[in-house]
Amino acid sequence: MADVVTQMAATGGKSLRQRQNATHIGIFLTLILLWELGALMGWLDPLFFPAPSAILTSFWRIYFAQGNIWYHLYVSLGLVFAGFTAGSILGIGLGAVVGMNGLVRRFLQPYVIVLEATPRIAVAPLLIAALGFGATSKIAIIMLVCFFAPFINTLSGVINVDRDRMELMRSLGASKLQVLRKLVLPEAVPVIMAGERLALTSALSGVLVAEFIQRDQGIGTLILTYTRNLNMASAFACILTLTLIGFLIFKGMEKLDHHIAYWKNEAGLRRVGAKRAQAWATAQRGQSNA
Amino acid sequence: MNTMQSSAQAATAARRGIVIEGRDVGKSFGGGSVIALEGASFSVKAGSFVSLVGPSGCGKSTLLRLIAGLIDRTSGQLTVHGRDVKGPHSDVGMMFQRATLLEWRTAIENVLLPVELQRTVTAADRARATELLAMVGLKDFAFSFPSQLSGGMQQRVALARLLQTGADILLLDEPFGALDEFTRERLNIELMRIVGEVGATTLFVTHNILEAIFLADEVMVMTPRPGRLARMVHVPFARPRTPELTLTPEFNALVAEVRDILGTH
Repeated sequence: MADVVTQMAATGGKSLRQRQNATHIGIFLTLILLWELGALMGWLDPLFFPAPSAILTSFWRIYFAQGNIWYHLYVSLGLVFAGFTAGSILGIGLGAVVGMNGLVRRFLQPYVIVLEATPRIAVAPLLIAALGFGATSKIAIIMLVCFFAPFINTLSGVINVDRDRMELMRSLGASKLQVLRKLVLPEAVPVIMAGERLALTSALSGVLVAEFIQRDQGIGTLILTYTRNLNMASAFACILTLTLIGFLIFKGMEKLDHHIAYWKNEAGLRRVGAKRAQAWATAQRGQSNA
Repeated sequence: MNTMQSSAQAATAARRGIVIEGRDVGKSFGGGSVIALEGASFSVKAGSFVSLVGPSGCGKSTLLRLIAGLIDRTSGQLTVHGRDVKGPHSDVGMMFQRATLLEWRTAIENVLLPVELQRTVTAADRARATELLAMVGLKDFAFSFPSQLSGGMQQRVALARLLQTGADILLLDEPFGALDEFTRERLNIELMRIVGEVGATTLFVTHNILEAIFLADEVMVMTPRPGRLARMVHVPFARPRTPELTLTPEFNALVAEVRDILGTH
């Protein structure tokens, strides 16, 4: 009886969701159709709103017929990866060191505030002047925009460590390194991950700015070139590609966050709890066999 | 010369069966402007259960932290096992009002934390942790995370962790203060059974007079502004004790006595 009720509720919920999805798709298709119609009838300026069909054709061309976007994507994403990794390592490392050391923190604080108030992108031309054109200065720009979120978040995570837990660790005779490894860093993980999310999104903007300035290769340069040639449909295709990448990054980071900060979500608690119980049982069995 | 003196002190203390001794212990903050505790002289016998009772600001928690070596005293003498207290030491284990468990560790991993900080965890340690979790009634929750446990269960884990340290002096700072009345009463009775089983010396901070007397062999009655140790009250009732004890006239006479000390100071 109860089963029947839950089953009915489940199917009812599903059909409701399906209906909602159908409505969303319907609205989306109608908008695209109107857009296409508007472009066809000349109501929309093709410089601002190239027809959806034209954008679709551009997609086909830059991905398959001409296939020129792959190289630029490869270059840009490589830079994003390098700059993000370097910036994060630097940010998290420095954040932990500064956070754990009260003296360093006091003397560094004013500079951090000043640097935080400065728009990082403004420094980009200076970096190019100092490091010259090429991958190095681009990576430096991305590092610069990536550095702050992990740095500030790690710092605040380390400073705001739970006082009672800190006292507990002290009363148990933990060394400074043990306190860092067993209490401070794990407790700061969720905040650090939030910083990493911001950093990766910034990295994507950073690479575009670097490529807009240097205009040699990469997806940013490609957008710039298409726009200059008034090939708006292809520029749109590039931008939509970036939208997709941004979305995938967001989703990927969300998944990673759930995985690393497993104790912050129900599924993670169940998964890791079961795994630890099994590891424990295996260890016990090994002990009794020996 | 100095070492001879302290070893002689240790010998005398051991002979008398005294594990914690304080003489004129004081603590002030801000260069003496705020006095948290003043002139506390007391001694605690091995294996006894001592309650520290008094209103907020009477220096109960300060005294506990001084004994643990988490803060330094500003005056007087304080010894644990005849040794001068300088900084955190492994003779005592602490428990706080909040369970202070590490959320990313399962219950049993939390219990093993004290061992992990000292040395490599052995099979014997694991067996002991399992045993301790069973002792606090959480046999089936070894692999639950703190967020999956109720407040009372979290404090049970904290108690198991405290016992895993192997310390023979337990310092409990309102350990069940954040829990509801029913849970607290049940945990108090279990606490008495458990510390009796392991034979530990226990200092228990509370602001509940009934609880203080019900649990203890000795009650340290403290008064505020500045924090002072007003009197030690001996509790003569036999163990094991049941909640019915609190209804007897003898018990209530003691309650009245403690209230009197707190009221007239």
